[in-house]
Amino acid sequence: MATSIWTLQLHTVSVPLRIPSKAVDFRTKYLFDYAFWRYTRKRTFKKLGVVALGDSFTNGDGKNSKNLPDEVMVVKSEKRSLPVLLQQTVTKLQESVKSLPPATLLVKKHSGVSLAIGLSTMLTLLVFMVRSYLAKRSRRNRPGSVADLVRRGQLKSDRRGISNPLKYDDPFNNPLVKVSKSNSTVEMCGKVYRLAPVTLTKEQQAVHQKRRSRAYQWKRPTLFLREGDSVPPDVDPDTIRWIPANHPFATTASEIDEDLAQTNVYQKHGVPFRIQAEHEALQRKLEALQSVSNHSP
Amino acid sequence: MLSLQPLSNPKPSSLYSSSSSFTPPNSLSSKTLKTPPAFRPSRNFYPSVHSILQYNRKPQLAGDTPRVVVITSGKGGVGKTTTTANIGLSLARLGFSVVAIDCDVGLRNLDLLLGLENRVNYTVVEVLNGDCRLDQALVRDKRWSNFELLCISKPRSKLPIGFGGKALVWLVDALKARDEGVPDFILIDCPAGIDAGFITAITPANEAVLVTTPDITSLRDADRVTGLLECDGIRDIKMMVNRVRTDMIKGEDMMSVLDVQEMLGLPLLGVIPEDSEVIRSTNRGYPLVLNKPPALAGLAFEQAAWRLVEQDSMETVMVEEEPKKRGFFSFFGR
Ligand SMILES: Nc1ncnc2c1ncn2[C@@H]1O[C@H](COP(=O)(O)OP(=O)(O)OP(=O)(O)O)[C@@H](O)[C@H]1O
Ligand SMILES: [Mg+2]
Repeated sequence: MATSIWTLQLHTVSVPLRIPSKAVDFRTKYLFDYAFWRYTRKRTFKKLGVVALGDSFTNGDGKNSKNLPDEVMVVKSEKRSLPVLLQQTVTKLQESVKSLPPATLLVKKHSGVSLAIGLSTMLTLLVFMVRSYLAKRSRRNRPGSVADLVRRGQLKSDRRGISNPLKYDDPFNNPLVKVSKSNSTVEMCGKVYRLAPVTLTKEQQAVHQKRRSRAYQWKRPTLFLREGDSVPPDVDPDTIRWIPANHPFATTASEIDEDLAQTNVYQKHGVPFRIQAEHEALQRKLEALQSVSNHSP
Repeated sequence: MLSLQPLSNPKPSSLYSSSSSFTPPNSLSSKTLKTPPAFRPSRNFYPSVHSILQYNRKPQLAGDTPRVVVITSGKGGVGKTTTTANIGLSLARLGFSVVAIDCDVGLRNLDLLLGLENRVNYTVVEVLNGDCRLDQALVRDKRWSNFELLCISKPRSKLPIGFGGKALVWLVDALKARDEGVPDFILIDCPAGIDAGFITAITPANEAVLVTTPDITSLRDADRVTGLLECDGIRDIKMMVNRVRTDMIKGEDMMSVLDVQEMLGLPLLGVIPEDSEVIRSTNRGYPLVLNKPPALAGLAFEQAAWRLVEQDSMETVMVEEEPKKRGFFSFFGR
C-alpha cells in the first residue's frame, strides 16, 4: 500500500521529491490553482491512471491502490460525455488527492526522519567503535600493563587464565583428521585424500642399502690436507679430505690426540682444555690459510 | 587411543599405527574409557567416519636418551630448517625436552624460523673460546620452555670458523652432563651439501631424518647423502617427503610418495604437503605447529614428530585428493 502511494507520488510530483518543503509548496499550488490544474489534469489523470494501474497490477494487495485506479478509470471513461459528472468526479478525485498528500507527506516525513535516525545511529555507532578501539589501543599501550608481560614473553597470551594443563592433542585422532572405516581415505582439514599402503619391505630396504654401499664408497675423512700437501705413506687415501685453500670450513685437525680429547670430554663445567686447544689451533690454521690465500693472488 | 576405537577395529588406522608394538598403559586406557559420552554424537557426523578427541595419550619415547637426530637433505632449500623447527616444537609440546642445534654455520636461519633471532647473544663459538658458559648460549623458547636453541656461530662473524665434528661430540656430551638432566632429543639442523659442514653435523648423530622433495634433483642428492650416512655408521635413517602436491600427483606431474620410496628404499617418517602457511609462519617466526586451528602441513609435522618419538614409520600414505563426496542431502536433490 505504502509503495503504491509512494510511486504515485513519485510520478505526479517527481521533481520536488527530494526537497520536502518545496513539495508542500507545490502541493498547495497544485490544489488551489484550479485553472492550472484543469489544464494539466488530462495528462495528469492519464498518468495517474496508468501509474496506479501498473501499481495495482504489480502489487494489488493494498486497499488504496486498488480503489484509486477504479476511480481514475471512471474519470477517464466519463470525462468527455459528462462534463458535470466530471466536475463531480474531479471534486471527488480532488478529495481523494487531498486526502492523499498528508499520507505521502507522512511517508516522506517519516522517511526523512528515519534517514536522520539511521544516520545518527550509524554515526553514534561509528564514534563508539572508534572510541572503544582507541581506548583499547591506549590500554594496550599503557606502560606497565599485563600486555607488557605478554610482549616480553613472560606470559603466554593464548594461555592466560587457563589453569588446567595442556592436553596432548593426538595429531592422528582429532576432529581435523577423520579416517574412513575402510581405511581407504582420510579427511584432513576438510579435504579427503585417498590412502595407499606402503609396500616397502625389509628385504627391499636391504637391497637399496647394498646398492648404496656399492655406489658410494666413503670413509669418514680423518686426515685433512691442504692442496699442495703430500699424502703420508701409511694413510688410506679414502680417509683423506682435501681442503681448498679458501674453504670456510677446515675440519678436525689430525695433529691433536683424539683419545685424550675423548677422555677429557666429560668435564662438567667449562670447555675441556683439549677441545679449546683444538679449536684455537683450528682458528690459527684458518687464519694462516686466509693470510696465505690473501697474499698469493 | 586404542580403547575408544570400535571393537571391530582394534588398531586405529594403518595410517599411523606402529610397526613397533605399542600398548597404552592400563591406567590411561581406563581413563579414556571414562570420557564423557557427550563427545561422541557431536563429533561423529558421519557414521562411517570415526574421530574421537584423545586427551590422555602421550607418545611413548622409544630408544635411549638423548636421541641425537640429524636433519639433512643434501640439496639446499628443501625444508631442513622448517622441519627442525616444527618437529622440535612439536616434541616440546608433547612434553619432551629438546635442544635444537643450528649447524648451518655460515647460513644459519633456524633462529629466524623460531622467532628467536633477537635472543641469540652467545653461540657455541664463544663457548669454545671460553667467553661464556654453555647455558648462556642456550636460548630457551618462552612458548615452550622445554625447547632450547643453540647456534654455532654468529651469522656475520668476520672469520669463518673452523668447527670440527669432535667439538660437536663434546657439545652433546656437555648437554648430557647438565644439571637439568639429559635432554630427550637433540636435533641437528644440517647445512646443505656434503662438505665439511655436513660431516661435522652428522658426527654425533645416531639417527637421521632425510628431507627430500618429490623431484629428481633432490632425490639424487638424497640418495647420495643416505649412502654417506650409512657409510658413517648411521643406520636409522627415515625420510620425510616435503612439498608434496596431491593435485599434481593426480595429474601424474609429480612423483607420488610411493614412487619416491621406491627410488630411495627408506621408511617414511612423514609426508608434508605444500602449504602456503609454511611461508606465512616463516614470516611470523612462529612455527606452523603452534597454529590454531592447525594447518594441514602443521598436522603433518605433528604426526611426523609423534612417529619420531615412537620410532615408527608410516604404513599408509595420502596419495591424491579424492573428489569431495556429495553430502547426504544431495542424494535427495538428484
Ligand atoms: N611444505 C612447504 N610448503 C611450502 N613452502 C615450503 C614448505 N617447506 C619449505 N618451504 C619453503 O622453502 C623454503 C626453504 O625452506 P628451509 O629454509 O626450511 O630449507 P633448508 O633445507 O633449511 O634450506 P638450506 O639448505 O638453505 O638450509 C622456505 O622459504 C620455506 O618457506
Ligand atoms: Mg636451513
